[in-house]
Amino acid sequence: MKKVLGVALGILTAIGGFVDMGDLVANAETGARFDMNLAWVVVVGVIGIVVYAEMSGRVAALCGRPVFDLVRERLGARFGLANLAASFFINSLTLTAELAGVALALSLLTSVNYLFLIPGVALLVWLVCWRMPFETMERIFGLLGLCLVVFAVAVWKIGPDWSELLSDTAHPHVPATDNGFTYAYYGIGLFGAAMTPYEVFFFSSGAVEDGWTAKDLGVNKANVLIGFPLGALLSLAIMTSAHFVLAPRDISVDQLSQMALPVASVLGRVGLAVVLIGIFAATFGAALETALSAGYVMAQYFGWPWGKAHAPREATRFHAVVLLAIIGAAVFGMSGVDPVQVTEYSIVLSAAALPLTYFPILVIANDRNYMGDEHVNGRFVNAIASVYLVILVLVALATIPLIIITKGGQ
Amino acid sequence: MLPFVRPASGVWAAPMLIRGRLAVLGAAVVLLVGCTTHRVGPARTYDDFERKARTTAEDSLSAVETVRLLAEVSASGDAFGPYLSVSVSEQEDTLAGIEGDFASIQPPGPRSDALRDELTPILDAASTHVADVRVAIRRGNLRAADSVAAPLSADADALRTFLEQLG
Repeated sequence: MKKVLGVALGILTAIGGFVDMGDLVANAETGARFDMNLAWVVVVGVIGIVVYAEMSGRVAALCGRPVFDLVRERLGARFGLANLAASFFINSLTLTAELAGVALALSLLTSVNYLFLIPGVALLVWLVCWRMPFETMERIFGLLGLCLVVFAVAVWKIGPDWSELLSDTAHPHVPATDNGFTYAYYGIGLFGAAMTPYEVFFFSSGAVEDGWTAKDLGVNKANVLIGFPLGALLSLAIMTSAHFVLAPRDISVDQLSQMALPVASVLGRVGLAVVLIGIFAATFGAALETALSAGYVMAQYFGWPWGKAHAPREATRFHAVVLLAIIGAAVFGMSGVDPVQVTEYSIVLSAAALPLTYFPILVIANDRNYMGDEHVNGRFVNAIASVYLVILVLVALATIPLIIITKGGQ
Repeated sequence: MLPFVRPASGVWAAPMLIRGRLAVLGAAVVLLVGCTTHRVGPARTYDDFERKARTTAEDSLSAVETVRLLAEVSASGDAFGPYLSVSVSEQEDTLAGIEGDFASIQPPGPRSDALRDELTPILDAASTHVADVRVAIRRGNLRAADSVAAPLSADADALRTFLEQLG
């Protein structure tokens, strides 16, 4: 049981990374619009995040310091500041989307307008960040997020022709109804959602919070090899359910409520209840991750005491940043912006900032001063990571032009 | 204690910082422009207008079909009231937004007028029928939702025919 709970950090991070507000919408949207023609992006994304999250966890376990802490030290204050600015901005957008996501999930259960629920959700997120021990937090929300497995159950209940589904997935093409630019835009969105920067900031900071050492490198591997593929599986299940239920009806997903429809239509009330709990837990978990990540990156850059292991009075600036990030995101969320569009932009803009996050991790994981001779990256990992770095740069360069050309994926 | 390793050199770190600031600024502008719902641009030619009419019809069809599916789920007892009520209201709002946006586009010529005259009544009918479903669900007539939603089938067909005509 202890071993099962040991991977809770990976599961929470992966649930947050793969099935947060952005992924829930993006996966359902792409499944409904492009069928399974973008499923390959999720597979590419999960390999990338497994490689880099493993590196960041290994760095944290060996150095006892998270990635962002080392970025500034290894690459300098200016690079660190550029990284901080980009990460903090995108993180704040993501936090806005997650708070709205939690409120929307509650709204679907209560009929209360989600705008009225955002302040209460923000308060709850802050209270959990402030009071709940890290281990309890990761276990509750990571494991509750597993309710989203109900999407896989719904797909199984639909009873698809698995060989045909696999064949469709393995032979992607740009649908006749869309053009290559829109296809690329959504592909980049899915890739950005899979490799969202806050995942590695949270994962490596969480590893430090959990007190990982060199002895925990096995736990690190188990976390990334179980947690992230599980998150990717949930992503694919959401996409597949939308492909089977929504696409044939010409339904395009632009509301969170629509992505739950396939489960309701296949599994009924129980399925719907489970999926709404799953959405609540996943978005709430992601809100915690992004709120804490705001504090982590800021405190780690400026060298302040940080983390939930410290009493709040010992890490006042860290907790102040978390609180201000939550307040800012709640106010932005209540301003009337469309939460789904904020979500879409946050994941696409994440893609633009990916090299800033992942390049330093690769540098540090190859530095014998930090990792020692025994634990630096091997050739195989470096080969994969380098290929991904090239992909990340290409994706980053293409993002803003694609937003403009496609008018935000229209 | 780990050794302090060299900081980034100023030669490439400064441009990196400037690029980072520009990227953040660009992203902020894109976000502010992009996060406005149902944004509409002008239609200067018939082709522009036709493209907007197509998008309007596609988005409306999605909203109509969503409500039809919600009504089916409601009638078979597969969902609870709050979920149905909020979901139908969202689609009603979406449809109202789409309709309002399309109505606000100035048709550039007589050909566009004809297109507008064809699509607008379909949107009006769909909005009325979606509102009927919302009323039924909010009154707790969950089992009767599919019969109330029956006219939406004709609306969906009309939208599909409209899209087929556009080619």
